[in-house]
Amino acid sequence: MIDVKLKNIMSAVFEVSVDKINDESSPDSIENWDSLNLMNLVVSIEEEFNIQFDDDEIADMLNFKLIKEIVSLKIK
Amino acid sequence: MDDLKYFEILNLNNRLKQSISKDQYNISVLSNITVNQFKEILELPLRLEEINAVVQIGDYDNIVQDSIKYGNSNVIIIFWEACNLLDGLHFKIHAFNDDEFNQLYERIKCEIDLVLKNLQNAQLILFNKFTPLCFSSYDLVENKLDILTSKLNLYLKEKIFSNLKIIDVEKTLFNVGIENSFDFRNYYSSKALYTINFYRKYTYSILPFIRSANGKSKKILIFDCDNTLWKGILGEDGFENIQMSSKTKAGQIFNEIQNIALELNKKGILLGICSKNNLDDVQKVIDSHPDMILKDENFTIKKVNWIDKATNIKEIASELNIGIDSVVFVDDSSFEINLIKETLPEVNVIQVPEKIFEYPNVLRSKLGLFYSLSQTIEDINKVNIYKEQIERNNFEKGFNTIEDFLTSLELNVTVQKNNSRIISRISQLSQKTNQFNLTTKRYTESDIEAFLNLKDNLIFTFSVSDKFGDNGIVGLCIVILDFVSCSGYIDTFLMSCRVIGRNIEFKFMDFLIEDLKSNNINKLYSTYVRTLKNNQVEKFYDRLGFSELDSEENKISYCLDLNEFQPSKINYINIDYDRC
Repeated sequence: MIDVKLKNIMSAVFEVSVDKINDESSPDSIENWDSLNLMNLVVSIEEEFNIQFDDDEIADMLNFKLIKEIVSLKIK
Repeated sequence: MDDLKYFEILNLNNRLKQSISKDQYNISVLSNITVNQFKEILELPLRLEEINAVVQIGDYDNIVQDSIKYGNSNVIIIFWEACNLLDGLHFKIHAFNDDEFNQLYERIKCEIDLVLKNLQNAQLILFNKFTPLCFSSYDLVENKLDILTSKLNLYLKEKIFSNLKIIDVEKTLFNVGIENSFDFRNYYSSKALYTINFYRKYTYSILPFIRSANGKSKKILIFDCDNTLWKGILGEDGFENIQMSSKTKAGQIFNEIQNIALELNKKGILLGICSKNNLDDVQKVIDSHPDMILKDENFTIKKVNWIDKATNIKEIASELNIGIDSVVFVDDSSFEINLIKETLPEVNVIQVPEKIFEYPNVLRSKLGLFYSLSQTIEDINKVNIYKEQIERNNFEKGFNTIEDFLTSLELNVTVQKNNSRIISRISQLSQKTNQFNLTTKRYTESDIEAFLNLKDNLIFTFSVSDKFGDNGIVGLCIVILDFVSCSGYIDTFLMSCRVIGRNIEFKFMDFLIEDLKSNNINKLYSTYVRTLKNNQVEKFYDRLGFSELDSEENKISYCLDLNEFQPSKINYINIDYDRC
């Protein structure tokens, strides 16, 4: 469920289709994954799940797998 | 857009970007902070209004340079944040001595001069007022940051020219709330000061400028009458009892509404009426009600009749030769609002709120729809020109869409026969109903009781509900039977104006006639008695297929052979007896 929601959000922010997103997706594999769009991603995820990340957590968001883990931990 | 999350805004904007075919409308945002999230939030609502807005965010802290680069955009928006005039200014400034303060002030003044000089030929500049609020909202006594921003704003005011609009961003900050407008985490990490929620409200506040620059400001405000321009229902409460006086608790709201509309009219916005009422009744109120603020000359057009409002509004747009998308329509009825929303989606609708004390605020919050960048004398005279130029055009009635709409309502009619528990309501209906009333016979409760005691009388009542709610008991039909001749006489048939316009009367008549036939009645007699208020039902019995027997000055008698009756083909209304 989180998986699906996060993919939808990433798809909207990075303008890639949902099926191109997998655990390895990162700034290297997604063209629009830059620091500005990362901020947009963070803001979108925070709004959707009603959470707030701290700087360390954001620094760790290096690929989709890590983002999923960070979000899952945060929601608990 | 308020109900869309940020990523949903991004999504929808991406899709619209592909499909919109209009020319690009270029908006540049110059800033000394990071404002990237503003881009899509501004693009989306404009694209939804068919303006292909493309927002270019300038380079960080490059306002002066960008003023050269983006000088020929359609709109330039400037976010010049006091807190970042120097890195850390928001706390450093409090340690400045007078020299340092003045140096900074003079420097910024020069930069403002340069920017405005570079932009002097720009079509439209939206320059946010300087504000200290992010870092100064706890200080109730003026501090150096407050003083700096005040001085800069005064200076800006002196430099104003026609295409430069100073945007009071503080009003948006108040609306959103200081705490909900600023994102300190993002500010300290990347100088992104504002939240998504701020950008949403800010966008809403500047839309009127951009709409107007694209010729899309709204041109006419059309009002319903009952419980919209005055409190009460004219046809039921009467001229004496409707309220719009500033001196009564109920009336003062409507007095304010009319005054707001009057001010709009003086600026050149057209006013219209679209109401289900008798024109003479409404005209009498306009011409001679002592508390009526709006006068006949303020209304460019009036559609007061019994035709559906979608048709009326289409006619208004067509007769005045304006787009249907330049119409704003106010009504208290959910039925009418939803009808227009579904059949004429380009019309902006405003529903009078249930909490009536919110009505003036709601209307006021929508005035931006009419905002015009240039208010010339022509606008003000235009109102008169339109009034003189009204001609009738031919147009399509579009009944099919109305039928679809009525189907979507899921109308349900529940009929009761000879219900002695609602004698009071039956009597009330006969006393108060004036417009949809075939014979206008007034009955007291004891009259009704007497009727119920005679076995030759049938008193039908019906209530109507739809997907929005229950209207209660709204219809009455009294039939007097003669078993010897197997005939009936419709002594009374009336319906509350609350449910007019949904063809309920025809469905009920189908039901009634079926019921009578199954009880061995094969002929029906009826009468239409003309009054000042019921001309909308003048042809009712004719339309059902009754034949005229006799007609005197104000009275027509009819007869119908029930075996020859053709039921209506209405399949979107359910009707049945109350099963209780």
